[in-house]
Amino acid sequence: MAPGVPDRDGLPKLYKSVIEDVIEGVRELFAEEGLEEQVLKDLKQLWETKVMQSKATEGFFRHSHHTPQFTLQLPHNFHRVLQASAASLVIPTGRGFQHFTAADLGASRMGATLTLPSGIAYPIHVPAGVTLQTASGHLYKVNVPVMVTQAPGDASVLHHPVQQIFQSLGQPSVLQANIASAAQVNASSAPAAAETLQPQETAVQQTMVFQPNVMEKKHLESSANTTLVQQPSVSQQQLATNAVLNQHADATEKSQHSNLYTAVFTPESSEGFSPAESLANDSSSVLLDVEGQLDVEPQESVQQQVSDDIIDLIITGKSLDEYAVLKVQDSISFSDKMEPTEQMESNLQSEKDICSDIEGIIQLDGTGDVSPKEEIPHTKDREENESIGIIESEDLKVLEDEEDDDEECDSISNTESSSSGGDNEEPQIDIVEEDPLNSGDDVSEQDTPDLFDTDNVIVCQYEKIHRSKNKWKFYLKDGVMSFEGKDHVFAKAIGDAE
Amino acid sequence: MAYQLYRNTTLGNSLQESLDELIQSQQITPQLALQVLLQFDKAINSALAQRVRNRVNFRGSLNTYRFCDNVWTFVLNDVEFREVTELVKVDKVKIVACDGKSKYGI
Repeated sequence: MAPGVPDRDGLPKLYKSVIEDVIEGVRELFAEEGLEEQVLKDLKQLWETKVMQSKATEGFFRHSHHTPQFTLQLPHNFHRVLQASAASLVIPTGRGFQHFTAADLGASRMGATLTLPSGIAYPIHVPAGVTLQTASGHLYKVNVPVMVTQAPGDASVLHHPVQQIFQSLGQPSVLQANIASAAQVNASSAPAAAETLQPQETAVQQTMVFQPNVMEKKHLESSANTTLVQQPSVSQQQLATNAVLNQHADATEKSQHSNLYTAVFTPESSEGFSPAESLANDSSSVLLDVEGQLDVEPQESVQQQVSDDIIDLIITGKSLDEYAVLKVQDSISFSDKMEPTEQMESNLQSEKDICSDIEGIIQLDGTGDVSPKEEIPHTKDREENESIGIIESEDLKVLEDEEDDDEECDSISNTESSSSGGDNEEPQIDIVEEDPLNSGDDVSEQDTPDLFDTDNVIVCQYEKIHRSKNKWKFYLKDGVMSFEGKDHVFAKAIGDAE
Repeated sequence: MAYQLYRNTTLGNSLQESLDELIQSQQITPQLALQVLLQFDKAINSALAQRVRNRVNFRGSLNTYRFCDNVWTFVLNDVEFREVTELVKVDKVKIVACDGKSKYGI
């Protein structure tokens, strides 16, 4: 390749030469394998097709059979023109004539469908009354003269003089420009229907950018070849779309989280008695079992999954209790999640009732002076949002009074201290708790985005990498760059960064 | 053996996809596909070394750097790539660079 050849023209040639070299190089290999020449041709065809479709190289192929970027459907009055010009149609432009190969001249009275090769030079002036059809199947009827120009992003942009729209037609239905607005997704009409383009007066300026949001949203997977209009702001739209989707996702997540929290909260009441079980005698274990039954049954199976988390929440201390309180409060703040909390309330009450009953059983020595009922209503008076730890400690105190067991006292105090930061339960509790607590401390690593395919990547070799303090110098060579899908190559690259 | 570095390019990925399709349809063996890729490595390395002549300058801010197994990986932000003919600006770019000094594979 001559040194003076511009990269834009040289890149497709370079790629083609590489493809040719590789195919020739493996021809013998294929022959040795006993494979037919056709397989090799298939490989080459597949390879070239993919490279073309990736739009990494501009104008990789200039054949007419190349997939057109869009087709023009001309109205009836242009039919004659098409016929007159035989196989070519001339559309007057502001700068000159653009010749197109008419794929179907006599298609219908409504007009002809033109297939525009990708190699056409922009801008194109599209007269009024033209229906534009993208390769994806969407039809856009243009009632006003539009100019189709080529945006830097290798896409065509429709610019139409708005003034003409309003002056010449005065019709309500004219070109519609869907400026990046995710809400426009819903506004999209049924596919395959000829859509009338209407202007958005608010967003209209000197030149309007026509953006087929409909097409974008519906054919996100379509290749760039099908895009009729400008894509520079597509990313904006996609961002908006993503934002909308994320919002939905977030809402979903929130609801899921609320599910989690509410599910967490109810088992807490049951789990609140688990230490009691470990502390007290079998009667309290009976309590726990009953409570477990009461609590678990009305709940969903999700609880089971989070039961460990619940234990963690309960046991790991006051700050964590507050955290749990906050979580519970958050969960309760969701109005649609009140049902589990109501169940939890009923559970608590039933627990306390049973607690009183069992305390009667536990109280063998008769030393318990404090009636559990006195305490339980006290806890009942408290908001449900208050930590289960408190309730737990209350019940444990009751048990303590009744049992008057040193072990229990110790264990209860342990539990109480655990409710304020102990660790007598599984060590997993702390670990599970710390993750949500300290998760906000980390600066986002951005490792995951590095793995994205859409990342702009340079693959090259380094001659020298130099650093002084925080100033880096890069001396690179023989590189292939990909920016926003477009490819470049370099023999040498020198860069600076800080 | 040439660097397999360039397999993760448009050209390389499209080749790998095509080979995968042929393997799926049982037209070629995976071993043959590997040979094709090796041939591709040679071709792209020599093409870049001999047929490309342009220079590029760039400037940006360094986000991360990594040097492992003699491979540098950088992530730069707000980078401007300047060529004689054009200027390209990107918000983020990842640079993967193998050792160009060693004669191994070139």
